[in-house]
Amino acid sequence: MDRQIVNNDRLGIGGVAVLGLAGMFFAVPMLMTAAFSLWEGGTHYGFAAFRILLQSPQLLEAMALSIELSLATVAALVLLLVPAMIFMHLYAPKLKPAFDFIASLPFVVPAIALVAGLSNLVTGPEWLIGTPFYLVIPYFFLALPFVYRSLDIGIAAIDLPVLTEAGQSLGAGMGQIIVMVVLPSLRASLVGSALLTLAVVFGEFTFANVLLFHTYAVFLNQIGQHEANAAAALSVASFLLTWGAMLGVLLLGRAKAAKTEGR
Amino acid sequence: MSVARRSVLQAGLAAGAFSMFGRGPAFAAAPALDAKLIAAAKKEGAINVIALPRDWANWGATMDRFQELYGVKLDSANPDGSSAEELQAIRTLKSQSRAPDVVDVGPAFAVSGTKEKLFMPYKVATWADIPADTKDKDGHYCGDYYGVTAFAANKAVVKNMPQTWADLKKPEYKGMIALNGNPLSAGSAIGAVFAAALANGGSFDNVLPGVEFFAELAKIGNFSPSKAGAASLVAGQTPITIDWDYLSLGYKQANAGKAEIEVAVPAGAQPFGNYYCMAISAHAPHPANAKLWMEYVYSDEGQLAFLGGFAHPIRFNALVAAGKVPDAVLKTLPPAAAYKDIKFASLAQSDAAKKVIADAWPRLVKV
Amino acid sequence: MKAPIAWLWIGAFLAFSAAFMVAPAAMLAVQAFSDDDGFTLQYFAELGQYRYTTAFQHSLILSVASATVGVVAGGLLAYVLQKPAAGRFRALVTSFSAVAANFGGVPLAFSFIATLGTLGLLTTLLKSIGVDLYGLGFSLFSITGLTLVYAYFQIPLMVIVFTPAIEGMRPAWREAAATMGASNWQYWRLVGLPVLAPSLLASWILLFGNAFSAYATAYALTSGNIMLVTTEISAVLSGNVTSEPQVGAALSLGMIVVMVLVLIASQMIGRRAARWTVKS
Repeated sequence: MDRQIVNNDRLGIGGVAVLGLAGMFFAVPMLMTAAFSLWEGGTHYGFAAFRILLQSPQLLEAMALSIELSLATVAALVLLLVPAMIFMHLYAPKLKPAFDFIASLPFVVPAIALVAGLSNLVTGPEWLIGTPFYLVIPYFFLALPFVYRSLDIGIAAIDLPVLTEAGQSLGAGMGQIIVMVVLPSLRASLVGSALLTLAVVFGEFTFANVLLFHTYAVFLNQIGQHEANAAAALSVASFLLTWGAMLGVLLLGRAKAAKTEGR
Repeated sequence: MSVARRSVLQAGLAAGAFSMFGRGPAFAAAPALDAKLIAAAKKEGAINVIALPRDWANWGATMDRFQELYGVKLDSANPDGSSAEELQAIRTLKSQSRAPDVVDVGPAFAVSGTKEKLFMPYKVATWADIPADTKDKDGHYCGDYYGVTAFAANKAVVKNMPQTWADLKKPEYKGMIALNGNPLSAGSAIGAVFAAALANGGSFDNVLPGVEFFAELAKIGNFSPSKAGAASLVAGQTPITIDWDYLSLGYKQANAGKAEIEVAVPAGAQPFGNYYCMAISAHAPHPANAKLWMEYVYSDEGQLAFLGGFAHPIRFNALVAAGKVPDAVLKTLPPAAAYKDIKFASLAQSDAAKKVIADAWPRLVKV
Repeated sequence: MKAPIAWLWIGAFLAFSAAFMVAPAAMLAVQAFSDDDGFTLQYFAELGQYRYTTAFQHSLILSVASATVGVVAGGLLAYVLQKPAAGRFRALVTSFSAVAANFGGVPLAFSFIATLGTLGLLTTLLKSIGVDLYGLGFSLFSITGLTLVYAYFQIPLMVIVFTPAIEGMRPAWREAAATMGASNWQYWRLVGLPVLAPSLLASWILLFGNAFSAYATAYALTSGNIMLVTTEISAVLSGNVTSEPQVGAALSLGMIVVMVLVLIASQMIGRRAARWTVKS
């Protein structure tokens, strides 16, 4: 075996440099924000800003609402988009340009215009429009470009027709094939999509603000400019918390996968 | 013309370590408002307001006092929304339970909202005291408070406070001066350009010298394009801001322990002021409360509360003439000379100015 | 029967999209072309103003630069992270990327101003050792500065969407190439990059679109003083000064045209690159 292949597995100087530079680029601004969140005026440093945040009921309510909305949006995407994409790749590949176009639309229709358009069209029942879960509809589309591209790349990396045929030749129905063969093969893309959706929903501000819902991003924005220290504290805290949560989800997913794959 | 709104803490946070604004002179009894209206309002039980930051002209205290006096639940949505967003909320939500009952918008939006039939006409009891050029003759809207453009500086970074517009060009202020937004979309920034115009040979009809002033500031490197706010002022990132006086004075009071902010109305030039207008939504889900809110805001107590937030109530002159403004309160405001002969730009003048700014600013001001 | 179900699902997705996204977008088109008297091109004519043409130029340059920086830097990072030696960093960086990919707006702008603004910490530090960043012509409040700030969420986004593509590269190919005497560079040029090409293109489009439609960060950083299409749209739609929804609709339509052109170009390039997609 050629020595070259073994060397490729190591990081090498280039690899270390890349990781180091990336680390610095991402750490420094975050550290600055953290330093500012601890500033109490003059040369005083302390946790006053964090204490205030923890005492705020609005923060917890806003976070709870955003978490619920995230889960609902992920569910909607998994139920509607994923099978549609799989079926499109298998049976109607000519529809791909249409899917591509739809998946890119959310970027170019500015949120504020979309809200105006949506509200003119959907003056529907209060039980739908009145609840925050109305937001799942625009959030589905806001997460769509990221999730679509992520799944697109994932589907391209596996050989969908062959997997499906193999499953069918063994007598499995389409539903079984999707759930037991295709989805597990797409695990990396699905996890990435779920994470991206969570991040999109937590970061989305315009829709929630215009429709006057009190989500997390709305709350963060409300303290964003007036109380600098509290806002910085919230940014840092939520970044760390979300990071930790996602890390947990990832590691848990890997542990479970290792268990099932080690059958 | 109206001002970019700010984000603000909800009641829970404000009650914490941050200082609450003075509520103006304390009143023992509630203002004498129509008993039938109060009863109808209590029956409705709730009111929705929009785009009223707690620290803006003391709205926080006014909102708290209203709830206290009439036992009505007040929901404050989108505190830092813009005037356009307020009108959009009326259009979008109409009479849903979340929809706004009253709005507080800039004059241009008050006029366009009236044209679009978004407002319900209503004349408060003290209608006669409101200057004629700040209200609609049929009662669709009326001005509620005003202020002037002023400088604010963070003394920790800025050793010498700029006193005049010419001072701003000094090299010691390199990279320090910022506006509250961009004159193409934010009212406070437009106010700053107007004020600069008045100080540099322009007039209400000629705002170009103001744009040229900022173009020069940008050229010599004193102008910072980032959006100035309480955070950036206190943190020292935008140590000199040009903003409405009541906002800067409010930040000064709120951050008294953290940073020393000094506020000054520029000397040697005519001050530029602007006012806001209140209106009731034509589709208000709680119309009695909307009317009661208007009556309260225009009562003596409501008007004096604005002074607690360093903003001049629209009935200021009438109140001073009637001797109802305590000297102690007058002392907290900038010198009266700045407000004595205050003149507001007419709607036609503002519209023309906006067109000039929209055309000239992108071309001349290079950051 | 699978076929009808498949069409049902595809149909449901398309109908949902049509109802809630395409229709409002179509309404924008109607709005851009009409005023009180009916069909008019006046609002489109307004797009010819200096302000708007500059905005489109700036937005395009920024988006192209930001997407390219993101694809290259993010792609490299994703590649390095896939090496077995980087194993313990992987979960850490992936989760960080998911959060950072949506970190933007006021907090991000604030942290960069605090670091690299005219009075920022890093700027002052460098000045004290003799390096005057702003004297040398750098400014955070420029397209370059924006590209730098955008990289904070573009690079993580690239890492997230591109990792599955890297994972899909089989070590067997590397070994086969080495056995046939190919050097590192030859491997990448003849096997690696062509296989990755469709994914690289798809990622680039995503990053381009992301940068093109970004608003909050740019506004917080420059308050619209650097003209971008998104800040201009918000200025006319929801600013405090003028309210011209039709111009906003026209600008939005312009954005859609740009994205469609980019998509068409990518389809053409993609069709050529797809020759190298793995088919067993």
